[in-house]
Amino acid sequence: MNFANPWFLLGLLGITIPIWLHLYFKKTPVLKDFPSLRLIAKSVEYLSRQKKIRNILLMIIRICLIIIAVLALARPFVGQSAGVGVSSSAPTAFVILLDNSMSMGSTYQGVSVFNTAKARALDILEQMNPSDKATVGFINEPGGLVFPQLTWDKEALKQSINNAKLTSAGTDIASALLPALELLVPLNGYKKTIYVVTDMTESAWQPFVDRYDLNKIDKTIDLVIVPVGDTAPENMAVTGLETDASVIMLGRKIPLKIIVANYTNKKQTAKISISINGERRISAETEVEANSEKICALECAFSKTGMNHIEASIQNDAMNLDDQRHLAVRVFEPCKILLVKPENVGNTENTDDIFIKFALNPLNRSKENIFIVETRLTSEITNTEPSNYSAVILLNQRHIPENFIKKLSDYVLAGGNLITFLGDKVEPDWYNKHLSDDLGGGYLLPARIFKRVGNSVSKSVGYQLTDIDLGHPAFSIFSKDGNGDLSRAKIYEFFQVRPNPTAMLLCRMSHGLPGIIEEKRGRGRSMLITFTANNRWSDWPIKPTWLPFLHQAVISMVTANDLTINGARPGMPITATINATDSNNKVVLKKPDGTSENIDGLTLTKGLLHFTTRNTDLSGYYELIVGNNILSAFAVNPPPEESRLTRINLRKIPRFIPLKQEVGKGKSVREKVTILRDGYDLSGLAIWLLIILALIEGFIANKPILKRLSKN
Amino acid sequence: MMDKTSKISRFLDPELLASLSNLEIKARTVVEGMIEGQHKSPFKGFNVEFSEYRQYVPGDPLKDIDWKVYGRTDKFYIKEHEQETNLSGYMILDTSGSMSYKGSGSMSKLDYASTLAASLSYLMLKQQDSVGLVTFADGISKVIRPKTGISHLMTICNELDNIKATEKTNIGDSLDVVGQTMKKRGIFVLFSDLMDDAEVIINKLRQLKSRRHEIVLYHVLDNDEIKFPFDEMTKFKDLEDKSEITTDAFSLRSEYLTRIRQMVNRFKSALRKSGIDYLLANTSVPLEANIRSFFTRRQAIMER
Repeated sequence: MNFANPWFLLGLLGITIPIWLHLYFKKTPVLKDFPSLRLIAKSVEYLSRQKKIRNILLMIIRICLIIIAVLALARPFVGQSAGVGVSSSAPTAFVILLDNSMSMGSTYQGVSVFNTAKARALDILEQMNPSDKATVGFINEPGGLVFPQLTWDKEALKQSINNAKLTSAGTDIASALLPALELLVPLNGYKKTIYVVTDMTESAWQPFVDRYDLNKIDKTIDLVIVPVGDTAPENMAVTGLETDASVIMLGRKIPLKIIVANYTNKKQTAKISISINGERRISAETEVEANSEKICALECAFSKTGMNHIEASIQNDAMNLDDQRHLAVRVFEPCKILLVKPENVGNTENTDDIFIKFALNPLNRSKENIFIVETRLTSEITNTEPSNYSAVILLNQRHIPENFIKKLSDYVLAGGNLITFLGDKVEPDWYNKHLSDDLGGGYLLPARIFKRVGNSVSKSVGYQLTDIDLGHPAFSIFSKDGNGDLSRAKIYEFFQVRPNPTAMLLCRMSHGLPGIIEEKRGRGRSMLITFTANNRWSDWPIKPTWLPFLHQAVISMVTANDLTINGARPGMPITATINATDSNNKVVLKKPDGTSENIDGLTLTKGLLHFTTRNTDLSGYYELIVGNNILSAFAVNPPPEESRLTRINLRKIPRFIPLKQEVGKGKSVREKVTILRDGYDLSGLAIWLLIILALIEGFIANKPILKRLSKN
Repeated sequence: MMDKTSKISRFLDPELLASLSNLEIKARTVVEGMIEGQHKSPFKGFNVEFSEYRQYVPGDPLKDIDWKVYGRTDKFYIKEHEQETNLSGYMILDTSGSMSYKGSGSMSKLDYASTLAASLSYLMLKQQDSVGLVTFADGISKVIRPKTGISHLMTICNELDNIKATEKTNIGDSLDVVGQTMKKRGIFVLFSDLMDDAEVIINKLRQLKSRRHEIVLYHVLDNDEIKFPFDEMTKFKDLEDKSEITTDAFSLRSEYLTRIRQMVNRFKSALRKSGIDYLLANTSVPLEANIRSFFTRRQAIMER
């Protein structure tokens, strides 16, 4: 046996002290006569009581000494970590959830909050031991884990933190926290921790806290929140950009609604700029009260048909990502409508079209009007090409030329729109035969026509329109109060019809028979109205609801095939089915930063292509291109709630342990992580306590000896 | 004067007195030394020495009226004397076993107390007062009735010489008997180490005092009892009941000294409140000092 410090063995000489003390006090008592032992007996009794107390005290101290000695050898740890109870030497499994939502794009004291968050996450990773395993996740929308399983590869984890990018997305804590919990809960023999590095915006955390009962989370998992930044910076944002115009026509002004939010404590002036397709068109200034939103209405017109990009922006501030907002709109050319009316009788001009013409183009202007209406008599349509028109409206036709019927069928199947009004000239059998039966799969009518119902001469019974499908674009405008009451229109006579199985019944007569029916035919649509378009069978054409109905019905049919994607948020998947026979199964997505990428689609029947893309992290204007055509476009905007940077009070978040580093004072995040993981090692304290107690014990136990020695 | 006094005090040293075999000689040595010093007799006795005149007040005995003065002044005057009768002194000596203790000094507590008693007896007899002696332990052992005349000192001294301290103490009962036996008003000088129940002793002394006796208590303690100068593991043996206690004297010392101090203070405060003179007599201290303190106390009482 060898000793590293053999000189310390000299300490063994210390055993002579107790031996000497033992021999010193081991003496035969001296016999002494004394006058009376009365006082001595009382003193001895008192001292024995004192000694008894002292002995009890010594016993307690000695018990404490043994306990502390055992504890010191067992190396006790105490700390906030729930995992400390597992074993002080157990490895740690942890997940770092980094908030890379838009709100992290603000700056605090000139430093990017997101960069600070990354630094904190790296600090936590630095404390990872070789036996620990971890993963990294993001709590943007939609969040998730970078590594679906826990890994020991510290460098890979650090790399993922370094590569993390700030997004314009909202915050979805649950999207990453729940998978993290799923990873950690089944683990045994590990101290388990989830670190959430976040700016703690109230708009993100409050719904999360309200929705989930955090106290039910496995108690063996430490939930740690690492706040970054400090007070919420002053921020203004464009939180809304929209237009109420149902259809936007070339060159025609439309109202734009811009919502500007002021999340500061004083009134601010917002300098609003509206750009269309990258060209600044309008500038305006508006004052917004503190902590409020203001809606600004501006008008703009478009000089290009097809998809247009509108951008509303304000001056930059502490967070730039929300200082602009985008909107994608489709601009149409004016719709050409073909009205086919019955022949004139003698010199009297047929007026079946008058109410429709007046409703669609009251002043019969060709410019600055949505609809350009052309009227043809039945005899004039033989050489007319329906495909030159956005919609064809048949009015009370007796017979239609065969070749025009064929053209109509092709037109509708190719995407054309047909509206058929019935009337006194209509022969049901001819209609059923020539417009339905004879056309086979290319039939034009959405219903079979039977007999006439009611009496338009006596007008004894007036039917109302009921069971209206207010979800249909033709009628949706009437769902709002004040936009007219369809039930005021009276229908005195109409045709009883039986809708096709795939047709939609848009409304019924008040006694239950179908009133208006629509059916999708190929890429087009066909609508059947069972009464006349003038006031002979109905007073609807002279009611205020007539005009908006006609407008909405035609527009809804014209725009039905238009791909519109609204309300997209960063990171949201975009899914669509498009008519793309020439797409070669490829759709190109052009992103706001100018880059493009191919999206593989799934070809469905009838030339339909279904595709999904998740590459929408950037906020801005995206174009979907098929071949050389811009099929559609959409805008991705950050969620408005992300602009409100107010912080949630830590006390409102149960179960989460705050782990904050204050600049220039207190412990660093690394130190705090170590303490949290390992707890406080009490063995050092126990040894000190042991020494102090041993000294106290020695003093109390040897007090009489010390007294005697000091006297000698 | 001082040289003379110190020379005499030298002879009053207990060690010197211990070398004298005859108690009477001891007493004479002590007292002569004292008288030759600066003190006069402390006893306010029964001499017929004129003190003063005062005007007659109703209630005064007619026999005290000085008729000669009346004849000259036609006014009644009372002729006052300092004392009317001789004083009876009782030396009451505790002869229990504990009094036989002789520590590091030259005299046992009993010897010291006997010498003190003989000295005071001599002093009183010399003033024509009568002196008696009572010895007690578990009860009254011996009673010598008070008598006058210096020849009575021999009787007292002989008795004191023959005392053997062996029995247990019962101070309370003994004082009861003394009180009942000694009806005549006098001065009681008690010599004891008071190794009995303190409250009983105090009560009995108060009862004696209530019978209009003058009481002087000499609390005789050896220096060992006062200082407890023991350090070793010691087996203490009681001189009265022979019981034994083995203990570490060093660790006991502090507590013992506290208790003895408390006991002395208790007697001192309780007895002085009752008008009883309490004097602590340390046997290592010269007798002259104890008699001097006795004189001082008595003089203070007389001047009251």
